[in-house]
Amino acid sequence: MRGPQDYGGLPAGPVDPEKHEHDPTHWEKTVDAMMMLLFDQRRRLARVDESRRMQEALGEDYHKYPYYERWLQAISWLMLEKGVYTQEEFETKQAEVRTRLGAGEDGP
Amino acid sequence: MNIGSRQSRRAESGDDMNETHEHSHVHEHPTHTHDGKPIQEDELPPLEAQILETSVRELLIEKGVITPDDIRRAIDERESRTPALGAKIVARAWDDAEFKGLLMSDADEALKDFGINMSPMELCVVENTEDVHNMVVCTLCSCYPRPVLGIPPAWYKRRDYRSRAVREPRAVLQEFGTVVPDQKQVRVHDSNADLRYLVLPQRPAGTEGWDQKKLARLVTRDSMIGVCDALAATEIAD
Repeated sequence: MRGPQDYGGLPAGPVDPEKHEHDPTHWEKTVDAMMMLLFDQRRRLARVDESRRMQEALGEDYHKYPYYERWLQAISWLMLEKGVYTQEEFETKQAEVRTRLGAGEDGP
Repeated sequence: MNIGSRQSRRAESGDDMNETHEHSHVHEHPTHTHDGKPIQEDELPPLEAQILETSVRELLIEKGVITPDDIRRAIDERESRTPALGAKIVARAWDDAEFKGLLMSDADEALKDFGINMSPMELCVVENTEDVHNMVVCTLCSCYPRPVLGIPPAWYKRRDYRSRAVREPRAVLQEFGTVVPDQKQVRVHDSNADLRYLVLPQRPAGTEGWDQKKLARLVTRDSMIGVCDALAATEIAD
């Protein structure tokens, strides 16, 4: 059975070498940096295979996520799975950050 | 734990999808780097993704896994890896037969001179010749020799290239303007988590006696992925 990531050999459109190319944004660089740090020899908290397993677990949503948002999902789930933080800590943090960032977005 | 549905997504995506842009202006990130350069004002992802990124980053910092300085250093490290590094390696291989021999047989050893450590991955260098043209893909994701070439181009990560490179490589090569003669074999190398490929393009004609610095100017990123040849001698100015 093919997973959502398993494109090899399937029909697809033409390759446009210029389209979609952009300089990485600071946000993308930060996600990239986090993944590289977790991969590194000092931390060894993640491997490429593990990151892929998490991205592929997105199922059909795999196709909907931009590249670095997929990476981010993988990091968040992997760190949870490895017990770096608990589900409760994760949810508490997200609620707090949502309030903090959301206030800037929608006004007080 | 889904970051949820949203009305639009940004163009930078692994796949084909709608490309309307969503603008939100939350300035969570610092505005200057540690050496005082202003950080570019660039587009932020959807709010949900910002919330997730901020949450994960802050938790990792609070847990002592990473520091903000680690992130800055990792960004600097990534920015120091560009195709110019790969071009230097190719130019040396064209000019120095002994180095080329080592590069082909034990790339990891050969790259020590360039301060490149592929570990825990392995690098395999494949040589283009009169008889063989090599090209590299990662059908399953975006595995790429980052320590040598930096981050992969957008098309390398996208579905069209990943799907078709292994099925109709000559058609894909044509889309890059590369026509490989029928009598020449095309070999497609599918990268994986542990093994990355670098193409050693053919040295262009008319470059006899050139020094490595000048040779390196002929070596493009795409020639080291194998979707193009190196530039012709006449394509660069003296």
